Amino acid sequence: MNVPDYATAPLPVSPETAAAHQKTLRSLAKPGAWWSGADRLAIVREARAAATGERTASESGSSLPPVVITAIHGIRNDSGRLTRRWFDDIIDMGMPREAYVELAAVVASSVVVDTYAQGVGLPLPALPEAVAGSPSFEKSDDVVEAGAWLPIARQGRANILRSLSLVPAASHLFFGAFNRSYYMRPDAEFRIDHRQVELIASRVSAVNECFY
Amino acid sequence: MVALRDSAKKENTAGAGRPDLGVVTGHSSGDGNVPHGALLIELAEAVARWHWDDVARLRGECEAKLGADETSDAILVAAGFNGITRVADAIGIRLDQRTEDASNDFRAEIGIDAFAPEKKWSASAGAVAEDAAS
Repeated sequence: MNVPDYATAPLPVSPETAAAHQKTLRSLAKPGAWWSGADRLAIVREARAAATGERTASESGSSLPPVVITAIHGIRNDSGRLTRRWFDDIIDMGMPREAYVELAAVVASSVVVDTYAQGVGLPLPALPEAVAGSPSFEKSDDVVEAGAWLPIARQGRANILRSLSLVPAASHLFFGAFNRSYYMRPDAEFRIDHRQVELIASRVSAVNECFY
Repeated sequence: MVALRDSAKKENTAGAGRPDLGVVTGHSSGDGNVPHGALLIELAEAVARWHWDDVARLRGECEAKLGADETSDAILVAAGFNGITRVADAIGIRLDQRTEDASNDFRAEIGIDAFAPEKKWSASAGAVAEDAAS
């Protein structure tokens, strides 16, 4: 399987981070709950195309429907300005809410992996071949309306950790990619101090105009 | 931001002072009472904006001043938050009550509240949405 060789990066990459990001890339190629592996890879490719700002949806050759392209571009390029009405329009145009949750997780997971790879001086990771199979169509009923655009997990430490829980596989995908980037585990350690970690996290949130 | 403000409590940084939250939103400048804070802010912003030429330059500066492992971790944190901010905004989650209570004293002051206009949750207000989709 063609996944990035983090050992060749100009900066050291911990084996744990390399393994987590490689696992995310492999997961993206597998059928999810609401999208096939081929669809999920097409979403990642479209997110990457959106990043260049050089290609429109029609020019990118994507097989994805326009509403999906619109959702990807909004989340990838302008997440800080998304609104409830934008979201409602996406759903009204026919995207199931569960499919939207998984799409958001796929885009955000690819952002984590791609940003880190390029940040340490590697090229964009090559994507694996799609794994054949059908989506599982699994979703959770253990969710609650909590003021978000979508139901979130009934219980949890923080809303962000509850946010993708309508589709547990989507939550698992994203937090598998994110896990190494913050204090998600009791034994999490960074080689910069806590203030530096929080400063970076806060600055990235501000750049992305994220209130959370 | 709450985590940043409280982070000094978790380090052996007696006398270092509480981090200056204003450096995050550009309301103040400098290191913000965080070691190499100004450099890390610059690196975080370049990573978040995917300005790879700037990242390459800042990577070298950080490596020289902080170390290679430290620079890699800084980029790892930035990459993660570049993703998780998209999750928060794509799902339209609200701030947790606990976090809201803990941050009420500074959110408006340093400009974070501007990132969460009420129309973000309004089903009828769409100007920002239409901008975003265009």
